Amino acid sequence: MSKLTEKHNYKGTLVCVEGIDGSGKSTQLALLRDWLKSTGQDVIFTEWNSSELISQTTKLAKKKNMLSPRTFSLLHAVDFADRLKQVIDPALKAGFIVLADRYAYTAFARDVARGVDPQWVRNVYNFAIKPDLAIYFDINPKDSMERICANRAPKFYEAGMDLKLSNDPYESYMIFQGRVINEYQKMVDEFGLIKLDAMDSIHSKQVAIRKMLKDVLNSKGVKLQEKQ
Amino acid sequence: MTKHGYEGLLIVIEGTDGSGKSTQLELLKKYIQAQSYGVMVSEWKTSRLIAGVIDDAKDRNLLNATTYSLLYAADFADRLENQIIPALKSGFIVLLDRYYYTALARDVVRGQDIEWVKNLYDYAPEPDLVFYLDMPVDVLLKRIIGTTGLDFYESGRDVGFSTDFYKSFEIYQKKCLEQYNNMKSEYNFKSIDGTLPIKEIHNVMSEEVQKILDSGILY
Repeated sequence: MSKLTEKHNYKGTLVCVEGIDGSGKSTQLALLRDWLKSTGQDVIFTEWNSSELISQTTKLAKKKNMLSPRTFSLLHAVDFADRLKQVIDPALKAGFIVLADRYAYTAFARDVARGVDPQWVRNVYNFAIKPDLAIYFDINPKDSMERICANRAPKFYEAGMDLKLSNDPYESYMIFQGRVINEYQKMVDEFGLIKLDAMDSIHSKQVAIRKMLKDVLNSKGVKLQEKQ
Repeated sequence: MTKHGYEGLLIVIEGTDGSGKSTQLELLKKYIQAQSYGVMVSEWKTSRLIAGVIDDAKDRNLLNATTYSLLYAADFADRLENQIIPALKSGFIVLLDRYYYTALARDVVRGQDIEWVKNLYDYAPEPDLVFYLDMPVDVLLKRIIGTTGLDFYESGRDVGFSTDFYKSFEIYQKKCLEQYNNMKSEYNFKSIDGTLPIKEIHNVMSEEVQKILDSGILY
């Protein structure tokens, strides 16, 4: 039984953004945070691989390219579990709006693209709380690469170079991120991720997200004090 | 054919702290080496990268039951994929001080769902032999108090069974023993009375190992 498919009963609201690098999710989340704060809401922000417990170790291991996909998967799960218990769960109990830059779905997309069994990694994360709103920014690998690699080459892991798909980092990036996107696409139905087109304007995406979040908050009886 | 399909042999010694695992492992290693087989030993929580994180996090009391489980699972995955499986593939006899049964016992005592823990380790190869050193809790308690003393996590003080150190240790170890008992038949443990003299335990173990060696499985 997974908590990821059951509605939670916390007072707070959990929102997450998903998508590959360069899909614009962090920009959208920052805009959302500023807006929510301006309306007087209690907001807390948490991002992927940032826990005090493990994030530095994972970064070090990446640099040295010393761990298998399964071990990486477990280390990211440690990071996630730590933030869930330390940050997300208490904040939701206290009634905060929790904004998560990437959530368990990132593991389902990336780890499976690296060859980890889809059901295994879903079971690992079965303690994750189901978000009230999970938005997926859809972009194709080429557009994403043009955005993030405008003045640098793709990095080792973002290009999936550990999988030895190609010796050319640009080509490897296209193949690997294509696989990650493929996994995200499957999750739109499986977990009810809401898909937005990453190539739409920043403004139109933000308008759409605020509308969806307002609906969620309304259904929970939270009223926003909007400045006119 | 070995149980896991690799060329080498996978032999595990399980048991709680103070049950005499490391002593027996050392004896068994010498016994096998004397017959010109390649032996590799790997102990629980010794991956280069992750073991240090676990020790540090324990020192700073940073772990909850879920991160505790997952960190040990990461340590195990790293050792399995970087040391144990490569050694098995090249025909070594791999002797393990603890296997994932340790995690099943400890994590379940910490309140984790057993199916969730089993899933974490479901890719681990099945050992050819699992020796379990069975110890009554009172003997175990004396042994540990007389040697290493009461460790915070090994006394389950993170779980909060009791504020009395001795009491907490007793409850924790009892619960771990219960979990091991439940696993005996499911995982085909060769259970050995851990209170027997060292030499006698070694004889039982070496006989079992010898049977496999004599079967010619490693040729």
